Amino acid sequence: MAKEDYFKWAESVLDPSKTFEKPEALADIKIVELCTLILGPSLPSYLSELGATVFKVELPGAGDTMRSLTPFAKFYKGSALGYLKEARNKYHISIDVRVDEGKDLFRDLVKRSDVVVENLRAGTMDKWGIGYRQLSEINPKIIYIALNGFGQWGPYVERPSYDAIAQSESGMAWITGFPDKLPLKAGIWLADYFGGLMGAVGVLGALAHRDRTGKGQYIEFSQAENLIRVLDWTWIYQHLSGKERGRYGNRDVSICPADIFQAKDEIVAIGAATDGQFQGLCEAMGMAQLARDERFATHPARLKEENAVALLDTIRKWAATKTYEELNHLACKHGFGAHKVSKGSDKFDDDHLIQRNFTYTVNDAIFGPTVEEGIVPKLSETPGRIKWAGKAVGFDNEYVFRRFLGMTAEQIKGLKERNVIGKWADAPGRKPPEDWDGKKGVILA
Amino acid sequence: MPHHEDDKTLSWPDWIRKQDDPVHAAKKPEALDHLTVLDCSYGSMAGCFASSILGELGAEVIRIEAPEGNPERTFSPFGMMHKDTGLGYLNEGRNKFHVTLNLQSQEGQEIFKKLAKRADVVIETFLPGVMDSWGIGYRQLSVDNPRLIYCAIYAYGQFGSKATCGKADVDVVCQAFSGVTAVTGELPEDPANPKPSEVPTKQGNWMSWYAGGAFAGLATLAALHFRTVSGKGQFIDVAPPEAMGRLINYSLNYFQEYKEDIPRVGNYDVGVFPYTYFKCKDGYAFLSGFSDINWKALCTILKRPDLQGQFPTIFDRLNVDNMKVMYKEIEKWTLARTYDEIYDAVMDYNKNIAVGIVVPGRVTPPMETMKTENWWVRRSFEKFNDHHYGELTIANQAWKMTETPPRVKWICRPVGADNAYVYSRRLGLGPKQLEPLKEKGII
Repeated sequence: MAKEDYFKWAESVLDPSKTFEKPEALADIKIVELCTLILGPSLPSYLSELGATVFKVELPGAGDTMRSLTPFAKFYKGSALGYLKEARNKYHISIDVRVDEGKDLFRDLVKRSDVVVENLRAGTMDKWGIGYRQLSEINPKIIYIALNGFGQWGPYVERPSYDAIAQSESGMAWITGFPDKLPLKAGIWLADYFGGLMGAVGVLGALAHRDRTGKGQYIEFSQAENLIRVLDWTWIYQHLSGKERGRYGNRDVSICPADIFQAKDEIVAIGAATDGQFQGLCEAMGMAQLARDERFATHPARLKEENAVALLDTIRKWAATKTYEELNHLACKHGFGAHKVSKGSDKFDDDHLIQRNFTYTVNDAIFGPTVEEGIVPKLSETPGRIKWAGKAVGFDNEYVFRRFLGMTAEQIKGLKERNVIGKWADAPGRKPPEDWDGKKGVILA
Repeated sequence: MPHHEDDKTLSWPDWIRKQDDPVHAAKKPEALDHLTVLDCSYGSMAGCFASSILGELGAEVIRIEAPEGNPERTFSPFGMMHKDTGLGYLNEGRNKFHVTLNLQSQEGQEIFKKLAKRADVVIETFLPGVMDSWGIGYRQLSVDNPRLIYCAIYAYGQFGSKATCGKADVDVVCQAFSGVTAVTGELPEDPANPKPSEVPTKQGNWMSWYAGGAFAGLATLAALHFRTVSGKGQFIDVAPPEAMGRLINYSLNYFQEYKEDIPRVGNYDVGVFPYTYFKCKDGYAFLSGFSDINWKALCTILKRPDLQGQFPTIFDRLNVDNMKVMYKEIEKWTLARTYDEIYDAVMDYNKNIAVGIVVPGRVTPPMETMKTENWWVRRSFEKFNDHHYGELTIANQAWKMTETPPRVKWICRPVGADNAYVYSRRLGLGPKQLEPLKEKGII
């Protein structure tokens, strides 16, 4: 009863249908982004969902390389799927920051903003005269974050990098996969998306300091170092044992039981992280005595290699006789963990994820309803939201320069004529959809 | 800012290193040293990582465990313990004061309420509604402390049709639900005889819990900014499977448009090729060359202009059957060389010919990662001599910040080690008051 009441309350304060009636946590924050691919661009995306205004600056024409990244080269209405998702909520402007007038324009934007995000090679912005040394002179409150593979100084400063390099040189790929196979890359650009996420956390830490002191600062961020930080017990284990962490397949060797099993119809992860959860699992298996067996009664005992192998084998045989529906029912009843290995199609139709605004339909003016991986943290007072998907290169030039820099139509026209600002090239991923009428989605049209 | 004037002649790397080298971190201010965080995580490392983030940025984190210690203290490879603490927990004990409190007892709940009155953040990972049923959920705590930011972390969240299911939150289960596991792993070489290793595969680390903790940290800090602006605290709900699922390149949109799922393709990538690992004489090398100009660069390095001619566009290179052909041809070149030879050949091209770029990397065993000078010079790794746990190698947060750098002050504390200090400082309880609480099993 008390719990029922709790769930009613939680649903009422977090109700996603009320999202647009509530304020945004970062409504007063403006971000200037000069980034390509994912590590850099994903950072302002996370903050934009929480209300930050993001100016995505691209070079005229081809713009961000990310505009080419799409599965099997399938461009949806002319747009790359990766770009459509990640450039959400941003104002798309296109400035040639390599020419003086473009640099001035960029500086004017930074003067009016709170955060700069870039992921160019170390020192490039400084060389162009729009690095932290120069920008902090014109806006001492600026929080400036530079993200890349290996940082701004040190023995690897010259090395280029990608997501997969961070996954491999951090050791993450080595510890992922099975011992009889090659080290395994994640099926997603994990170092990039997770790097942007942790970069965003750093920016908000700096914002907390600025809120108290008025001071901005510079943040340097290496995506490989970020993965090194989250390889849980790897380094302490290697330090103490002198042994290398291996690849253990789907078995978690630090929590027992925790593994992925073949059920009758689906592949299902099953786990129990506490004694209580484990007792529940034993009851569900009809083997309550296992929880009292001295080999399995405590977690340290269960984790011992021979005990773990025996226990996981028992669970494997049991799970093979059950359907996922049966396993799920037992997990709910007995309080252990179980979920099937879920695909995009499973999540697309999952009413739980739809209710929670994770499976999110963006009501986009240009592309129509677009379903994307949506909002993760649900905030009761300032819920996150997605307003539109990625747009064409330079799509919002006129609006941004008019509203935020107070420019006249003539001034904007002049910048265009001198090729300081520009629009999309006629290439896949850069331009609006073929059927675009020249008006849809244009602000102050 | 006078340092700008002084140092205009310095090169960028030298200048920025002077400002942000973590070697100077201990002498600088901390971003969050005005915050008090109560971390009641139980059986999950997601909450522990969230409070690590806040603690590394300076917050005073009070870690609240059951009087006998929490189950996550036992999360450790093969059950290996170091001074009664599991290695996974040891990595996230940093900078936290460790107290014990029986939250199921009425007296324990009263003590918690007093602590929460003056706290800024509460983090918890119980099943939804448990803290509420104890009278110490957000509903009750926010009455006395409307500025409180309360973050609840659970695999199925605090609302939605699955929130009431009662299933446990375990990293591997969260990974499976996230959607990442389905697209990670090798495909059977012989579909008629699949091997046990040719299945959907989880990330080796607790990736879902770390992603959940990161989003909890992000949301908490955004809520903190909103509190600065408005004076209002709030309630936050984070689900680790959604946290990890948000990191997916494109999956829902792809299904919406094409009514099929992104397949699992091992170390290939359905959106970029070549962008994968190749066997070489002494290990594995990563090589890339996706855009037309970079593909041409790779073919030039390999002295294989024929390959470029055979697969000239990204449309040719994103066909999985073609990938297999190109892979075999590139591997012929890598197999004949050591990693260093590959790296030198590629970097020589990047430096001297520099039309397009090929990015090389080494698939590094973690023992070698731990021996790589670059990470030590940059203090990504640090040998830390802890007062209680002795010398250990730890990894630091990646942010190198010029004004408020993160730092580690201690690695962990034993169960209840800070009871006397925290309860006397926060609640004025001395040994006389604590002794009976101990006898009753409250602390």
